[in-house]
Amino acid sequence: MAIQVAIIILLVAVIIATLAVFLIATILQLFKINAGLSVVLPLVGQIVAKTNPVNPVVDDINAQLVVTRDALENLMLKKAGPDSAGLVESLFPGEGAKFLRRVGRTGKVVNVGTVYTRGVGILAGLGRGAPIGVSHTKGPAVRDPKYSTTEVAKLYPAPPDRRDPSRNIPKAPVIGKDPVHSPYEAALTPGTRTRDAQGNKIETPEPAPASPPPAPTGKIEVAPPPAQSAPAAPTQADPPSTPGRLSAKGTRPWER
Amino acid sequence: MADAALWIMVIVLAVVVVVLLGLLKRVLKAATSIPPKIDAIAGVAAAASRDLDAVAVLLTTQGYIKSIRASVLNYGGSLDAALPDY
Repeated sequence: MAIQVAIIILLVAVIIATLAVFLIATILQLFKINAGLSVVLPLVGQIVAKTNPVNPVVDDINAQLVVTRDALENLMLKKAGPDSAGLVESLFPGEGAKFLRRVGRTGKVVNVGTVYTRGVGILAGLGRGAPIGVSHTKGPAVRDPKYSTTEVAKLYPAPPDRRDPSRNIPKAPVIGKDPVHSPYEAALTPGTRTRDAQGNKIETPEPAPASPPPAPTGKIEVAPPPAQSAPAAPTQADPPSTPGRLSAKGTRPWER
Repeated sequence: MADAALWIMVIVLAVVVVVLLGLLKRVLKAATSIPPKIDAIAGVAAAASRDLDAVAVLLTTQGYIKSIRASVLNYGGSLDAALPDY
C-alpha cells in the first residue's frame, strides 16, 4: 500500500512539474511574440499611411491618360479614317481590334504595316516624298523600290534633302518693295551684260572719261549723221541691222 | 481490492504523464516557431515602409502627366489644323 501511494504521489509531482516547465516556456515565447508584434504593428501602420493617397493619385493619372488617349484616337479617326485601326495594328500588334471596340466601330483590321512601312502610309498621303518602296533599311522591300516613288517624284521633282541642307530647294523670291529676304542684289553694272548666254565673260572696253553733259536747251536737236566713206552704211530709214535686239544700245539712229 | 484500485490509478497517472508531455511539447514547439517569423515580418515591413517613401514622387508624376496631357492635346490640335481630314 505504501509503495502504490508513493508512486501516485511521484506521478502527480511529475505532472505538476511538467505542466509548470512547459507552461513557463510557452509563456516566455508568448512574451517574445508580443514584443515582436509591437515592433511590426507600427511598421504596418506606416505602410497603410503611405499607401493611403496612392489610389486617388493613380486614378487621376489614369483619367488623364484616358482623356489623352481618347483625344488622340479621335484625331486618328478624323485624319486616317478607316485606316486608323490598321495603323494602330501596325504599331501595336493586337491593339487594332481593341481600338475598334473602344471607338465603337466594327470591321476587319487590316495591318497596314504589312503593306507600308510604319508611318510611310501617312507620309505618302501627305505627299512628302516618303520612301514607300522600302520597308526598312535592313529588311526586304515590301513594294517595288525602283518605281514606287514615281508618283511622289512627279509631285515633287526635287524633294528637299533633309540630311543635306545644301541640297534643299531654295525658297521662292520675295516680291515687294525692298524685301528683307530678297535673294537679288543690286547690279554693279546695270544695263550691261558681263557674261553671255554660255556663261563666258564678255570683254568690255574701258569706258571713256566722263564729261559733263550739256545743259538742256529745251529744243530737240538732231545731229547730222557723221560722214562715212562706206556706201553701205545704214541710213535713217533703213531697218536696224540686228533685228530683234532693238533695245540694244547703238542701233537706234539717235544713239549713233 | 484496494490494491488493485491503487495500481489502476498508478497506470492512469502514468499514461496521463506521457500524454501531457506530448501535448505540452507540441504547444511549446508551435510557440517557439512564431518569434522568428515575426522578426522576418518586421524586417519586411520596415523595408516596405522605406520603399513606400517613393510614393510621394507620384504627386510629381501626376503633375508631369497633367503637363504632358496639355502638350499632347496642343500637339493634336496643331496636327488637326495642319493635316487634312480623311
